[in-house]
Amino acid sequence: MQTIETDVLVIGGGATGAGVLRDAAMRGFKSVLVERTDLSMGTTGRFHGLLHSGGRYVVKDPEAAHECIVENVVLRKIAADCIEDTGGFFVTTPWDDPAYADKFHAACVQSGVPVQEVDPAEALRREPRLNPDISRVFEVPDAAIDSWKTVWSCVRSAQEYGAEVFNYHRVVGINRNGDKVVGARAINELSGEDVVFDAAFTINASGAWGAQIALMAGCEGITILPGKGIMIAMNHRLVNTVVNRCQMPTDGDIIVPIRTVSVIGTTDIRVDDPDELFITQDEVDRMLDDGEKLVPGFKQSRALRVWAGVRPLFKDDRASAVADTRDVSRSHALVDHQARDGVSGFLTITGGKFTSFRLMAEDTVSRMCEQLGVDVECRTHEEPLADSESGKFYWLGSRLVAREKNLHDEQAICECELVTKGRLINAIERRDTKDLDDIRRSLRLGMGPCQGGFCIYRATGILHGVQKLDGRAANASLHNFLQERWKGVHPILYGDQLRQARLDDWIFQGLLDVEHAPR
Amino acid sequence: MTFDCVVIGAGLAGMTAGVRIAEGGARVAVIAKGVGSLHLGGATIDVLGYAPEPVDSPRAALDDFIAANPDHPYARVGTNAVSGSIEWLRDHLPEIGFVGDLDANLQLPTAVGVAKPSAVVPRSMAAGDLRAGGDFVIVGLEPLKDFYPAYCADNLAVAPLTNGGSLRARAISIAPPVAGEADVSPLGLARRLGDPETRKEIIRTISNRLEPGETVGMPAVLGVDDSPAVWTDLSESLGTGVFEIPTLPPSVPGIRVFRKLLSLLRSAGGRLLVGPEVLGMEAEGGRVTAVKVDTSTRIVEYRAAEFLLASGGVSAGGIKLGSDWRFVESVLGLPVALAPEPGGERFLPDYFGEQPAARAGVAVDDALRAVDSEGNVIYENVRVAGATIAGSEPWREKSGNGIALATGLAAADEILESVKGGD
Amino acid sequence: MELMRASLDHCVKCTICETYCPVSNATQLFPGPKYVGPQAERFRIGDISPDASLDYCSGCGICTQVCPQGVKIAEINSQARSLLKETKGVRLRDKIIARPAVGGRLATPVAPVANWVLQNRPIRRVIERAIGIHRSAPLPRFAGRTFQRWARKHRGPAATKSVVYFHGCGANYFEPRLGEMTVGVLEHNGFEVIVPKQDCCGLPLQSNGLFDAARGYVRRLAAALAPYARRGLPIVSSSTSCGLMLKREAREILEVEDDDLQVVSEHMYDICEFLMMLHDEGELKTDLGSLPLTVPYHAPCQQKGHGIGSPALDLFGLIPELKVVEQIAECCGIAGTYGVKKEKYGIAMDVGETLFQGVKAADPDVAACDSETCRWHIEHATGVRTVHPVELLHRAYALDLRAGASRG
Repeated sequence: MQTIETDVLVIGGGATGAGVLRDAAMRGFKSVLVERTDLSMGTTGRFHGLLHSGGRYVVKDPEAAHECIVENVVLRKIAADCIEDTGGFFVTTPWDDPAYADKFHAACVQSGVPVQEVDPAEALRREPRLNPDISRVFEVPDAAIDSWKTVWSCVRSAQEYGAEVFNYHRVVGINRNGDKVVGARAINELSGEDVVFDAAFTINASGAWGAQIALMAGCEGITILPGKGIMIAMNHRLVNTVVNRCQMPTDGDIIVPIRTVSVIGTTDIRVDDPDELFITQDEVDRMLDDGEKLVPGFKQSRALRVWAGVRPLFKDDRASAVADTRDVSRSHALVDHQARDGVSGFLTITGGKFTSFRLMAEDTVSRMCEQLGVDVECRTHEEPLADSESGKFYWLGSRLVAREKNLHDEQAICECELVTKGRLINAIERRDTKDLDDIRRSLRLGMGPCQGGFCIYRATGILHGVQKLDGRAANASLHNFLQERWKGVHPILYGDQLRQARLDDWIFQGLLDVEHAPR
Repeated sequence: MTFDCVVIGAGLAGMTAGVRIAEGGARVAVIAKGVGSLHLGGATIDVLGYAPEPVDSPRAALDDFIAANPDHPYARVGTNAVSGSIEWLRDHLPEIGFVGDLDANLQLPTAVGVAKPSAVVPRSMAAGDLRAGGDFVIVGLEPLKDFYPAYCADNLAVAPLTNGGSLRARAISIAPPVAGEADVSPLGLARRLGDPETRKEIIRTISNRLEPGETVGMPAVLGVDDSPAVWTDLSESLGTGVFEIPTLPPSVPGIRVFRKLLSLLRSAGGRLLVGPEVLGMEAEGGRVTAVKVDTSTRIVEYRAAEFLLASGGVSAGGIKLGSDWRFVESVLGLPVALAPEPGGERFLPDYFGEQPAARAGVAVDDALRAVDSEGNVIYENVRVAGATIAGSEPWREKSGNGIALATGLAAADEILESVKGGD
Repeated sequence: MELMRASLDHCVKCTICETYCPVSNATQLFPGPKYVGPQAERFRIGDISPDASLDYCSGCGICTQVCPQGVKIAEINSQARSLLKETKGVRLRDKIIARPAVGGRLATPVAPVANWVLQNRPIRRVIERAIGIHRSAPLPRFAGRTFQRWARKHRGPAATKSVVYFHGCGANYFEPRLGEMTVGVLEHNGFEVIVPKQDCCGLPLQSNGLFDAARGYVRRLAAALAPYARRGLPIVSSSTSCGLMLKREAREILEVEDDDLQVVSEHMYDICEFLMMLHDEGELKTDLGSLPLTVPYHAPCQQKGHGIGSPALDLFGLIPELKVVEQIAECCGIAGTYGVKKEKYGIAMDVGETLFQGVKAADPDVAACDSETCRWHIEHATGVRTVHPVELLHRAYALDLRAGASRG
């Protein structure tokens, strides 16, 4: 059994946890983060990638809207490399209440969200796939943000300040010394080893799983409602601007162009367990219909995969009995266990949205400092994350430009997403992983139209060589990738993607016969 | 334009049918919206590999298999047709030199190193038959990203052989002289191997690293149109068994077969039209009179007495599933059998398990004519061959080319009889 | 830009297009149609095409023809190239060679001088250095007269049916005799041949990414031909590539939405296609005499793009004793103006190598091919005189005696 000593222990490797880690490390605390799987596997890795301008909340929740725009500006400054400045449209479709448009405009002004009305003809010129029957269009500074990259950049930033991250370490218990939380016990999922973290302060940033962790600390009665939402990635960028329906937030009302795909979302269904996520036919059908309203021809376009994420919605006593989890406040909830439960050295931060993760982290770490009697300012809004120092936004064409330069020197392993052999080997070595799925998240390997049909065999062969795996271990990784991929593909299989899936079946089963490979 | 027969689709089923019909003296046009399966899937004739247990002898297993799977395409044509179709192909493509028959499946290594059952294989692959065990050296070519010899060899070494034999496998990687290019396509490499100087260099390199008694496995890039010569040269110069291992598309061995079939089609007076899509048909009195072909600005009718739909099933778009969850046969609008209803389950979460929608296709009678849900013939003169026929899961059974070949030729025979009889 | 771009969704990455691409099979400089088409298109936004390697695409269109899933690969490439040109600018050379009608008008009155200049080797070396046309590129000779002028003076025999002739720049400035033969064959089959005043179809401008200029030309041409189409008259073209431009490329690639173009497309026929249609209806005169010649025939990529099969081969089948050797090579390499460019000439010659060998191996009397730039390229590479299939029909009909002996 291993014991690790630290000042601050952060539980949860999503955006909030990564943000807290960075903030704490920058304020001089020795900091450690534990995450039960890979970073960004929870809510953070499963949303549509919208960097909010706040426009979605201006009418319903002006406070949240204001918070969004402030953090939008901050993130543009510190995380430019993770952000594509797509801009956003709010459009009034024939299905939307025309009266909302003026309300929206006024509310944007009120909340400090920069807004500009645009002639629909001009909007259609910029986005030819939009519904030609839109009657009003407003432009706001929405953007697309790569959550995975943001989290990793935060973590690298934190590591520069001496922080450490322990992936695949699942917390199984919180240690208390009387009324004080003194750390946690975890299991290293890869080795099976027990690990104890001794910490002066523990921060529960486990999002939708927050109540489970709090319970381990003996803090009962926390309710975090998992609000499940599904999202569908469409094969190419039907639009290059974020497009929102100009109305009160509802299902399927946003399309976000992120990397090479367009993502439509989302739904909002209360579930009981954040780990039991299922996708129904009905949800998929309705999402496709919603897409058709914004982009005619949506249902003939190619859907790549569908996935579900859960929003952690903290139930505030002030709200009445909740039917639709969307009505629960979006602003985050910082639970001060000292005040609430008499338990010191422990805070739970949950709720919120990706756009405000840095602020959530700031609030949390500042509260911790207060409780520890330490007076250090937060600087996370000033210093750029790793790779964002130049302040230049991400540009979609950059992978294409890079590939042009190495056309003759490098092999493209994943051709759909232009991932070269060098980058792949680099990623395997840096992450020291034996799991292709870990690589998939960082490089987008196998996330293009062929969904791994051509690249996964290649990547397995390379992984086998780089990590000196035996055949069985490589086969297991390949199998696991295929199963994981199938989870996201099979509920949405029609048209072009069904053809692709069938071709992939011919390759993996008919040609390579992978199901008979020993594991 | 008027023909005796119009074949829709240029995969293995369509092309073999076209050749058979043309050689039988009938005027045939093969129309395809693109080129087909042979470019992708490879040249081994997999008849029946798993039923679902590994099959040692297709001939022995087929009767039981057909009894257990009465909706399967093999049930429509019977074992003799399967056997006959293999002999036809062997006779017609002597340069490919197909080895094997229905009596016993070979076990050939896949690029992952799995011992896959195949009934009939090109000569250039036969030395890879694992059943006798032995020592293998798997050779990778550095600029080819579609083949990983070490991974293949690792799995090969533990491959369970049907006769319980044992084998040893190791891997080496060589750098063929390709002017510093890092990423060369399989077809590009295959062409380069056609150059004697390049080949000599490769032979020399392998030779230096070859150990006595080893059989040499290489990715399937041993030449294109000159392929028997390339494989022969390698075998003779290395003085040992050499075999090709099929890898990701494009399939060079498949392309060789396609080109030979195309040449046979042309020699016999048949036509191949690649590019325009068949968009529908005209019918009268229970017979289709013409298919409508989209020729870039107008529809042209191709009239014929007989029609063969060899449109490649789901992967080629011959059977489509819309976002309304209805399966359709996309060329002639024939009814689709074994298709789940829109509200029903189409696919289940276990990727390697049975998938409810896998067998969807057009049902046929024993003369390969399309039939409806009651078994009634829809059009007297419309037959179906290959992956568009309902009832099989060829990528799991390892039966794709076997079905295509048997049904393509069976349909062609029926068509020839009809055309001759009708005169 | 959307219809073609949306077709990228059909790509299942099968690599079939790459196995057929004549350019990527001949040079590593071109990463292949799958890469520059549906794959790279997912990375292009709006007005920028950042990948210069796409300029090596020759626009032959074979990729679209062989794609089993219906991806409009060549069309996506063509549109992306125009964006590339907008970003990077277009060379003077490309602006010149994309306007054969302009060159034709200027050079025709001084044809002997112009021809001498363009065939003079030292001068060609200078031209190569100055603007980048390869010194050995097969540039055609100006005829010194135009087909239009002949047509204005020509009076055909009385006829009961009419057809409109779209002759193209090739026949007008370089091969007026081909135009005369086309008219001769049609008149022999009972047609009055109407030759409206007409200019370039804009195809070379389109191939070089100059889309706005191309649209101007094609609209004007459509306007000139539309009145006849509206009367229900068929329009035939002896330039198979220009015919394809009007049939569909202008609509698909340039996305010209124009009533005139629409009606013209619907009435557009390749000359061999039209003659075979007559034959199918029993209306083609079959008084074709023997031509005991060995003729290798190459169907240009653009002819295959019509999707009409091989009507030229069917017509040859009607000529007694004619031995046709059908060439299986996909592309001759010239691809319109592509192969005359200094940086592409070598590629064009490599691409065509199989065809050139095939032509020579047939031990031919003459070769046949439906597209003028292909003919010039094949002649240049093999030394074998290469003619349009119509010329062989003209000869078989024994119409030569009336039409006069001199060529061009």
